[in-house]
Amino acid sequence: MRTLVLGIGNPILGDDGVGFHIAQELAKEIKDENIDVKDTSIGGLNLLELIVGYNKVIIIDAIMTQDGEAGEVYRLGPEDIGEPAQSTISAHHLNLLTTIKLGKKLFPKKMPGEVIVFAVNIQEVTEFTEEMTRKVREAIPKVVNLVLEGMVQ
Amino acid sequence: MTKKIIIEPITRIEGHGKVTIHLDDKGNVNQARLHITQVRGFEKFCEGRLFWEMPVITPRICGICPVSHHLASAKAGDAILGVELTPTAEMLRRLIHMAQFVQSHALHFFHLASPDFLFGMDADPAKRNIMGIIAEMPEIAKKGVKIRAFGQKIIAALGNTRVHPNAAVPGGMNKALSIDKRDEILNQVDDIIADCQFAVDLIKDYCIQHSEEAINFASFRTGYLGLVDTDGNVEYYDGTLRLKDSRGITLEDNVASKDYLSIIEEAVEDWSYLKFPYYKRLGYPAGIYRVGPLGRLNVADGCDTPLANKEFQNFKSLGSEGVVQPSLYYHYARLIEMLNAAEKIKLLAQDELICSKEIWVNSSKINEEGIGVIEAPRGTLFHHYWVDTSGKIRKVNLIVATGHNNLAMNRAVYEVAREFIKDGKVTEGILNRVEVAIRCYDPCLSCSTHALGQMPLEITIYESDGSIRQVLRS
Repeated sequence: MRTLVLGIGNPILGDDGVGFHIAQELAKEIKDENIDVKDTSIGGLNLLELIVGYNKVIIIDAIMTQDGEAGEVYRLGPEDIGEPAQSTISAHHLNLLTTIKLGKKLFPKKMPGEVIVFAVNIQEVTEFTEEMTRKVREAIPKVVNLVLEGMVQ
Repeated sequence: MTKKIIIEPITRIEGHGKVTIHLDDKGNVNQARLHITQVRGFEKFCEGRLFWEMPVITPRICGICPVSHHLASAKAGDAILGVELTPTAEMLRRLIHMAQFVQSHALHFFHLASPDFLFGMDADPAKRNIMGIIAEMPEIAKKGVKIRAFGQKIIAALGNTRVHPNAAVPGGMNKALSIDKRDEILNQVDDIIADCQFAVDLIKDYCIQHSEEAINFASFRTGYLGLVDTDGNVEYYDGTLRLKDSRGITLEDNVASKDYLSIIEEAVEDWSYLKFPYYKRLGYPAGIYRVGPLGRLNVADGCDTPLANKEFQNFKSLGSEGVVQPSLYYHYARLIEMLNAAEKIKLLAQDELICSKEIWVNSSKINEEGIGVIEAPRGTLFHHYWVDTSGKIRKVNLIVATGHNNLAMNRAVYEVAREFIKDGKVTEGILNRVEVAIRCYDPCLSCSTHALGQMPLEITIYESDGSIRQVLRS
């Protein structure tokens, strides 16, 4: 049983970096040879190559919802993310669910059986900065604990 | 605690993929605009950092095209150091660059563009996407995946990580290519070249069968810009700038890339964060030009590999006066480049120097200014840095491919809107066609990393009095 913990985020794009920072924290805590902890700033279809071959994948990412508050944490399955965009005017438009669906068609035996997403609601991503807003920063230890608790179970 | 929610389709960043169309009082299109969000403050973010860091920082501008920023940044660093690369370092840079072309063009064609061609532009959007291709034409989808994986594997071999590489440094490369990895490339490359030729044939057939549609769809005259080598061939990594006008007349030639500011200026519009570069001598907006596959092939005299050159000649015969104008031919040009890149990978891998360990030269010199220019898959990319005597960044100027094509993409949307909205009547299919037009240019709409959730294209049509008439969403 191989597990990947994958933090997604751009550490120079304000709150967007939250997933990246959570993965960095988790890498210090998790010392299990069956669990890989990685961070990445990539998007779209490139994620596919990272998750292929694992039995279980825990993704930590930033999200912007219409009504949610900054720093709120959601535990999601890929099916909660929304149908894949049918409109694909650029490579940015291939979202996580599209990527997973595509993988299941192309490499049905190699795709993880379980994908869990922890999403942190973010606030500010319009300017390049390494600073995150306070509530988002405060969510980091919370998510670290949630992921670690999930591993023990 | 966590709570379970269902996420409605969201637009992650305001303005993402937003089109506005303004009608006149007769109900015809007066103006159409594509609004592109750009994350602000990159220049300020870089100030005070050492130029050595830039090839690691700049790939994070974009989660889709990081290798291009990485290489342009390393080239600007070379210029600051005032060094000339070792032959192996330059070949390795070219190798990773061509690998990026193969993977980027394959992704665009097979995953984004091919459903329009294979199912037809008016097919049901529920089928007209990559999942539809996998369901109905799995062999084609698999070729796409295979070509892309080949490019990714080379990037990984040289760059340590697959997508945000740290392969290049000012003065050369970090890591040599192992003989094993070289052999892996050589074992697979002929097969990949054949698949690239297959893709070219696919799009060529489409262009022949639908020539009228291609010629009449989002077709307009502009200038073209791209790099060429000393023989006038399409050049991706180095070379000099050439600019042609809409009649195929060369207006600028042999312009050293460091002199780009002598031919290009940027205009600002209050409705867009993304600037509008234009050809200085013709002014704004008459100095509209296009970059990327169509731009590169239009300014060049040929390709430097046999299979791609054969296709290049065929491509050129589609245009009049030496330039090919229709937006749809971007796809054809893109696949010729993919073939060219695959052939170039083979030649590079066959060179006996490719595995040499002489990959870096140092220098104690620090020039005040460094300019790195490459042809990214989407078009010409400029990185221009000014540094102080210790090598700390004082100022940064970047011009990205989507910026160069900003005027042209707006024009393409306008042309489509004009065709589909007449005398107050909006014809069905406008949304599809606007998407198809924008997709030709393979834009980088927002350099945000990724997106959980949907990013629909939204078209808002305004009456002449400013009231909203209709909002269309994909």
